[in-house]
Amino acid sequence: MISPESEPVIQALGLSKQFDSHNGSLSLFSELGLAIHQGESVAIVGPSGSGKSTLLSLLAGLDNPSTGDVIIAGQSLTQLDDIARARLRSEHLSFIFQSFHLLPELSALENVILPLEIRGQQNAAAQACHWLDRVGLADRQHHYPTTLSGGEQQRVAIARAFATEPTLLFADEPTGNLDDQTGESIINQLFSLNQQRQTTLVLITHDNSLAARCDRTLELHNGQLQPRLNEERSQ
Amino acid sequence: MTLRQLNRLALRQSRASWRRLEWRALAAALLIAISLSTLLAVTGDRLEQSLGQQSAALLGGDLVLSSSRPLNPQRRQAATDAGLNSSAVIQLSSMLSGNEKFVLGSIKAISAPYPLRGTVITTPSQPSLPVPGTLWAEQSVLQRLGLAVGDSLSLGYQRFTISAELISSPDRGRGFGSFNPLVMINTADLAATKLISPGARVNYRLLLAGPVDSVDRFYRQLKPQLSNAERLLSLNSDDNMQGNLQQNLSRYLRLSAVMTLLLCALTILLSLRRYSHANLNRAALLLNMGLQPRQLVQLFSLQLLQLWSVCAVLGSLAAVLLNSLVNLLLTPLLNGALPPATSLSWLQGPLMGLILLITLGLPPILAMSRVSVMQLLRQSEPATVNMGRGLMGLALLSLLGWISYYLDSLTLALLLTTVLVGVSWLLGLLGQWLTRLLGQQLAPRLRLGRLLVLRIQQQRRWQRLQIPVMSLLLALMALLWLARGDLLNRWAEQLPATAANHFVINIQPWEKQLLAEFMHNQGVDSHLYPMVRARLVGKNGQPVDAAFNAEQQKDNSLNRELNLTWSTQLARDNQLLSGTWPPISNEQGHSVSVESGLAERLGLKLGDRLSFNAGSQPVEARIDSIRQVKWDSFQPNFFMIFAPGALDALPASYITAFYLPRENSRLVPALLEQFPTLTLIAIDQLLAQARQLIAHLIDASSLIMLLSLLAGTVLVITLMSQERGQRRYENALLQALGATANDCQRLDRLEFGLTGLVCGALAALLAELALWPIHQQALKIEMVIHPWSWLLLPLTGMVLFSLLGSLSRRYPTSLWEQLKARQGR
Repeated sequence: MISPESEPVIQALGLSKQFDSHNGSLSLFSELGLAIHQGESVAIVGPSGSGKSTLLSLLAGLDNPSTGDVIIAGQSLTQLDDIARARLRSEHLSFIFQSFHLLPELSALENVILPLEIRGQQNAAAQACHWLDRVGLADRQHHYPTTLSGGEQQRVAIARAFATEPTLLFADEPTGNLDDQTGESIINQLFSLNQQRQTTLVLITHDNSLAARCDRTLELHNGQLQPRLNEERSQ
Repeated sequence: MTLRQLNRLALRQSRASWRRLEWRALAAALLIAISLSTLLAVTGDRLEQSLGQQSAALLGGDLVLSSSRPLNPQRRQAATDAGLNSSAVIQLSSMLSGNEKFVLGSIKAISAPYPLRGTVITTPSQPSLPVPGTLWAEQSVLQRLGLAVGDSLSLGYQRFTISAELISSPDRGRGFGSFNPLVMINTADLAATKLISPGARVNYRLLLAGPVDSVDRFYRQLKPQLSNAERLLSLNSDDNMQGNLQQNLSRYLRLSAVMTLLLCALTILLSLRRYSHANLNRAALLLNMGLQPRQLVQLFSLQLLQLWSVCAVLGSLAAVLLNSLVNLLLTPLLNGALPPATSLSWLQGPLMGLILLITLGLPPILAMSRVSVMQLLRQSEPATVNMGRGLMGLALLSLLGWISYYLDSLTLALLLTTVLVGVSWLLGLLGQWLTRLLGQQLAPRLRLGRLLVLRIQQQRRWQRLQIPVMSLLLALMALLWLARGDLLNRWAEQLPATAANHFVINIQPWEKQLLAEFMHNQGVDSHLYPMVRARLVGKNGQPVDAAFNAEQQKDNSLNRELNLTWSTQLARDNQLLSGTWPPISNEQGHSVSVESGLAERLGLKLGDRLSFNAGSQPVEARIDSIRQVKWDSFQPNFFMIFAPGALDALPASYITAFYLPRENSRLVPALLEQFPTLTLIAIDQLLAQARQLIAHLIDASSLIMLLSLLAGTVLVITLMSQERGQRRYENALLQALGATANDCQRLDRLEFGLTGLVCGALAALLAELALWPIHQQALKIEMVIHPWSWLLLPLTGMVLFSLLGSLSRRYPTSLWEQLKARQGR
C-alpha cells in the first residue's frame, strides 16, 4: 500500500522558521526534513508552543518558511505566487480544524456543498449528500450548526473535507474541542474514510493515543522532528 | 463559484448578520442617512423657500427688479432691448374687507404677461389675468372673512367680485408681509382703490425672463446702475432681506443635517470595522476552501449591496412619509406654491447611501480579502483589520464632497466640519475630565467607588466620542425647544398688558382731523405722529459710499427708507442721552435727534450734518441730540425726529397706535368703513401669524432633528458595544472575586449615569451659549438662563445613557463561560 519508492505527496526540505522578537531572532525550528507518501497517515506531536501549528501552516503553504522549501504533488511552493498556491491548495488540500469552522447560517448540507461550489463542481449537492451519508448524518442534512452537537459538527467538517476528494488532508487537533467518547468515534470515522479513500493524512495532536493510530508519529521537540516508535502498533 | 452562487451565499450571510448588533447599527445608520438625504433633496426647496431662498418658479422670473418707488420706465425698455420679457407687478399691504369683517392682506396688482416663470393655479381655472372688477383670493382670505367665490370684497374705495380661489402662485414677494393672505387684482383696477398714497408701503417689481446669456448680461449691466431704492434679485442672489430668525433656522437646519450625516458615516465606519473583524475567520475559511480574494471581495460587496437595496427602498419610503409631514406643516405657510420634486431628487438619497457604503465599506472588505488562512489555526482573537488609508481618505473626501454640495460651498463645508470636529474634541476632553472628577468625588462614598474610577479611566477612549456626540445632539434639540418657547412666549410676555395693540398707518393729512375726532368720540386715547419716508443719502456733504465704511454701508438703515417725524415732545419711552432737546428749525437750518443704536452703528456724532432724500426732495439737518428708544414698547418710534416745520415741503402721512380691549369689536369695522384706505395692523393678529410661522418652521426642523437624534443614538449604541466584550469579562471577573451580579449592574449604571449626566450638563451649557446671540439679535431681549433645561437635560442624559447602556449590555451566558471563553482565546 505504502511504497517508499514512489514519489512523496508532500516533502519538506531543510525547513526553518525564525521570528523576530524583543530579544532578537527566535528560531522555532531549523533544517527540518520530511517526506510523506500517498495513503500514509502521519501524526505530528509535541508539547504546547513547540511549533506544531506553524509547521502545519508551512506544509500547507499558508505561511512562508525562513529557509527551505515544501513540495506538494511535485510543485515547489516557494516557486509559486500566492494565487498559484491558493489554486494548489484548492486542488489538493483539505483541512479539519479544532473549532470546526462551519458557517452558522448554512445547513449541514450547504456547508458541505460550499467548497464544491467554490470549485465549480456540477453535481455538488449529490456529492455532499453522499458524504454526509458516509459520516452518518443523512438525517441531519438540513440542520443548522447551532442545532448539532460538537461531534456532529466535526463530522460535517469531515464530510466537507473529504467531499473535495483531496490528495492531502490536514487535521489540526480534530478532537480538541470534543469529549473523549465523541472524539474516539470521530477519529474512527476519520481513519476509516482515510483508508477507503487512500487520502494522505497529516494530523497535528498532543493526544498520544490518537497519534498512535497513525502509520507514523513525528515528535516536534526543541526544533527537531524525531520519529517516535508507535508502541501500540509495534506491540 | 458563479455570481449567482455568490449572491445566494451573500444573502444567507446577510440574513445571519441581522443577529449582530453592528450589522443592525450599520443598517440603521444607512437608513437614516438615505432618508435624510432624500428628504433634504426632495423638500429642500420647500424648506429653503420658507427660509428665504428663491427659485425661478417661485420668483416668477429669472430676475426681479424690486423697488419701494415706482420704477423708471427706462428700466423696462432696457430689458426689452436686451431681449428679455418683462412683467410689472405692484404689491402692497392693506385691509381687505367683506362680510363686515376685516383682515390685513397683501394685494398684488398684475398685468400681462404674468407670470414669466411658474404658473398661477386657481379654481375655477381662469384666464391669465383677473378680469377688471374681479379678483382672485386665497383660501385664508375667504376663510377669515367668511366669503366664497362669487361674493364681493372691498379694497380701499373699490368693490370687487371674487371670481376664483387662488390655489398657488409664484412671486409672493418677500419678508413677513408676504405671508399675509393674498389677493390678486388687475393693475387696471389699482387706481380706483386709491390705496397708493404717500406713506403707503408699496413694492414695485419688474419680473424679467429670457435666455440665460441675455439674463446674465442684463444682470451685470443693471447691477451697477441700481438706485438706492432698487434691488435686483437673481436666482443666486445672496440678498437676504429675511430676519435673523430665518437665517438662524436655516443655519441650524444645515448644521443638524451635516451633523447627522457625519454621525451616520461614523456609525457605518465603526460598524463595518467591527463586522469585518468578526468575519475574519469566515474570510480565512472561504479563502482556504479555494475562494479567490477577488471573489471574496465580490461576496462581501454583494452583501453590502443587498443591505443597501433594502435601506434604499425603506429610506425612500421613510422620506415619502416625512416629506408629507413637512408639507403638511409648511403648506399653510407657503400656500402650496411649491414645484413638485423631480424624480432625480428622489434618487439623491439612495445614491448618497451607496457612495457612503462603498467608500467606507471597501477598505475593510479589501482588508478581509488579504487575511491569512493561518488565522484558522490560531485559537486567538484575530488581529485588528488594517483599513486602507487611501480608501479611507477617499471616503472622507466623498463625504466632504457631499456636504459641500449640500451647503453649496466647499469652504463652508470644510469650515463646518473643522469646527464640528474641533468642538467635539474639546467637548470630549472637557466631558471626560468632568466624568473623572465626578467619579473621584463619588468614589469615597461608594463601595464600588474605586472600581468606578478605574472603569471611567478604562472607557475614556470611547467617552471622548460618546460625550461630544450626545451633548451636541441634546444641545441642538434643546436649542430648538428653548428657542421655540422663547420666541413664542417671552416676546409677548414682555409687553405691558395695556400696550398699544393696534396700529393705523397710511393716514393722509386730510384724514387727520376726522380721524382724531373719530377716536375721541370712540373714547380711545391716541396720538397721531407724522411720518415722512426718506433715505439717508449722505453725511457732512459726502455721499454714503464715501461717508461710511463697508460694514456701515451694509446696515439696513442705509438700504431702505427711514421713517422721519417731527415733534417737540420727548415720548415717555425715549431718553435723551446727549445734546439738547427739542430739535430746532430756523433760517440757519434744521436740527435732528437720532436714535442711539443707529448713531452707534453708523458712527454718527453730535454736530454731524445728515442729508436725506424723500422722493427727489433733499433735506439737510445737523444732529443735536442722541436718544435711546425702547423699541419693544409697541409705540410708534422713530430713528429721526425733526422740529415741526422742517419737513413741511415733503409728503407726509400719519401713524397712530392705540390700545383696544379685546371685547371692543365695534371700533375697527366702524373705523374702516369711514376710512377705507387706512391700513390697520392688529398686533394680536400679527403676533399670532408670526407665532404660527415660527411654530411650523420649528416643527419642520424638529423632524430633521429627530433624525439627528436617532443617528446619534445608534452611534452611541455602536460605541458602547465596541467595548462590550471587555466590560463583560471584567464583570465576570469581579463576580468571580466576590462581587454580586447586582454590584456589577450598579457599576454599569453608575458609569452610564455619570456619562449621561455630564452630557446633559454640557448640552445645557451649549444651548445657553447658542441662544445668547439669538436673544440679542432676533429677540432684542436680555440673556436669560433656563433653569428647567439645566435640570431636565442632565436628567435626560442620565436616563438616555442608562437605557442605551442596558440595551447594549446583555449577559446571556453564565459567569463561568464568560471567563472560560476569554481564557480560550
